[in-house]
Amino acid sequence: MSDSSVAPNTQPETPADVQADARFESIIVPPPADSLVMEVRDLNFFYGPNQSLFDVNMPIQKSGITALIGPSGCGKSTLLRTMNRIYDLYPGQRAQGEILLDGENILSPKLDVTALRARVGMVFQKPTPFPMSIYDNVAFGVRLYHKKTKAEMDEVVEKALRRAALWDEVKDKLTKSGLSLSGGQQQRLCVARGIAVEPEVLLLDEPASALDPISTAKLEDTLEELKRDITIVIVTHNLQQAARLSDYTGFMFLGKMIEFGPTEELFVRPKAGKTADYIGGRFG
Amino acid sequence: MASSAAPKKDLVDPIFRAVAFSAATMLLITLGGLIISLIIGGWPALSKFGFSFFTSTTWNPVTEVFGAAGPITGTLITAVLSLAIALPIAIFIAVFLTQFCPKIIAQPISTAIELLAGIPSIVYGMWGLFVFAPWFARTIQLPIITSIPADSFWGKLFAGVPNGANIFTASIILAIMILPYMAAVFRELFRSIPPQVREAAFGLGCTPFEVVSTVLIPYVKKGMVGVVMLGFGRALGETMAVTFIIGNAHGFPNSLFSSGSTLASTIANEFAEATSEMHLASLIALGLVLFLITFTVLAIARALLSSQRY
Repeated sequence: MSDSSVAPNTQPETPADVQADARFESIIVPPPADSLVMEVRDLNFFYGPNQSLFDVNMPIQKSGITALIGPSGCGKSTLLRTMNRIYDLYPGQRAQGEILLDGENILSPKLDVTALRARVGMVFQKPTPFPMSIYDNVAFGVRLYHKKTKAEMDEVVEKALRRAALWDEVKDKLTKSGLSLSGGQQQRLCVARGIAVEPEVLLLDEPASALDPISTAKLEDTLEELKRDITIVIVTHNLQQAARLSDYTGFMFLGKMIEFGPTEELFVRPKAGKTADYIGGRFG
Repeated sequence: MASSAAPKKDLVDPIFRAVAFSAATMLLITLGGLIISLIIGGWPALSKFGFSFFTSTTWNPVTEVFGAAGPITGTLITAVLSLAIALPIAIFIAVFLTQFCPKIIAQPISTAIELLAGIPSIVYGMWGLFVFAPWFARTIQLPIITSIPADSFWGKLFAGVPNGANIFTASIILAIMILPYMAAVFRELFRSIPPQVREAAFGLGCTPFEVVSTVLIPYVKKGMVGVVMLGFGRALGETMAVTFIIGNAHGFPNSLFSSGSTLASTIANEFAEATSEMHLASLIALGLVLFLITFTVLAIARALLSSQRY
């Protein structure tokens, strides 16, 4: 992965400023090769005629937190949305390249997308509890795949809520609506719902941007706990959050992965000038 | 200048409030007046026939004996049947338009729905009487009647004069009339669901059917109850189209294919020729009953809405 050179870009829709930069190369310091669970290779992404990702490469370390940072519109959410193929829902959006999950290319048209999404869960910017009880929200995904007895399901639900650090707050009102919780609780409920199906990877798209500082801190604690068993990829606008939480960080700009490496390295000694500018607050 | 402007300004708000208040009060006064005049107008019939006005199926202007059980049953049956037909179709239309439909087709279908909703009810009635009812009698009613023994359960259910003017065809016409309205509002309801909710459901590995049935429909069910009740209310009170096609028989409708009447159709049919005082009073009493049924439906809708937990 360290030789992640960038193929010459042949897309006619490429913005001029990017195309002109023919010598562009991502600077990538990958995690140890045997610790990878997922790997994005030469990914190009298109919204209809507009290309929004350009030859993106990104290795993802197992049982760690990988953060994606960059200014608005840089493609970090788009990248995240390719990783469980949620973009499939929208005709006209398509991805080229490879995303390997345990060695299997998930962009392959033959792949069972439903099964993929059970392995790669997602939590969104705004909390998205379903209109049902707290208990049913957590059990929802599990019921799609497994028949469980009431006792088994109780156990699964409690475990997921405990891991999402929500159990103590909701254990006495599991039959109440998921929508009755506060914003921060709703977001942790969505995390619980996502991890109840025991995914290998959990994608989070700016999960704390609608939360107050206390809820954000709780959510971050939750993610720290979870990363032992689940690989986490988080898109965030908040540089401090990326620095606090993540093991590896990728900085994206104009649809390209500018720099990727261990978080401390990237924040303390950024190799690319753009990265230094962004982290230093000179733009973005 | 300033001293003369200040008192003027002080007047604006009280006047504004008074106008708003009287507009709202006018509504209440109208409603109250309507109820009172219905009660006064219908009282002679209600006091003469008592409770049997609601239970008797005899409606005889010649002997001046009036019982409303036939029209009441006809009203409820046609409304429920039309809703049962229109509701699932409306849901499927809305689901298709918002979830699966390519944009190119969505626009023509949406326009068609709006056009259907704009057709005056008398046009539906005419079409029902001249086109749909004869077709229905020929191609559906006759074959069914001739192929099923008349004394079996099904034979009794489908008994009736094969002229197409019956409870069932009236319900279908009603369903066609409330369908575009319900489909259009359902479409708006589904559109109001944040896209992330749908993505979250797909993100857990739901199939499209599971997404729609377990997440999207529950997400808008409060709104749906309201729409269903409004559709039901419209079906209850719809007059002209039903009058054309229901057959206008006063008795108790004893099969799906028998002619019947509704409260509204009876009033529309007979008001012009109601010369005796008792006949007129009975018709007004029918209006009162229709009002009460509609009111009850709205009250039930309210109760259902407030009992929803999610």
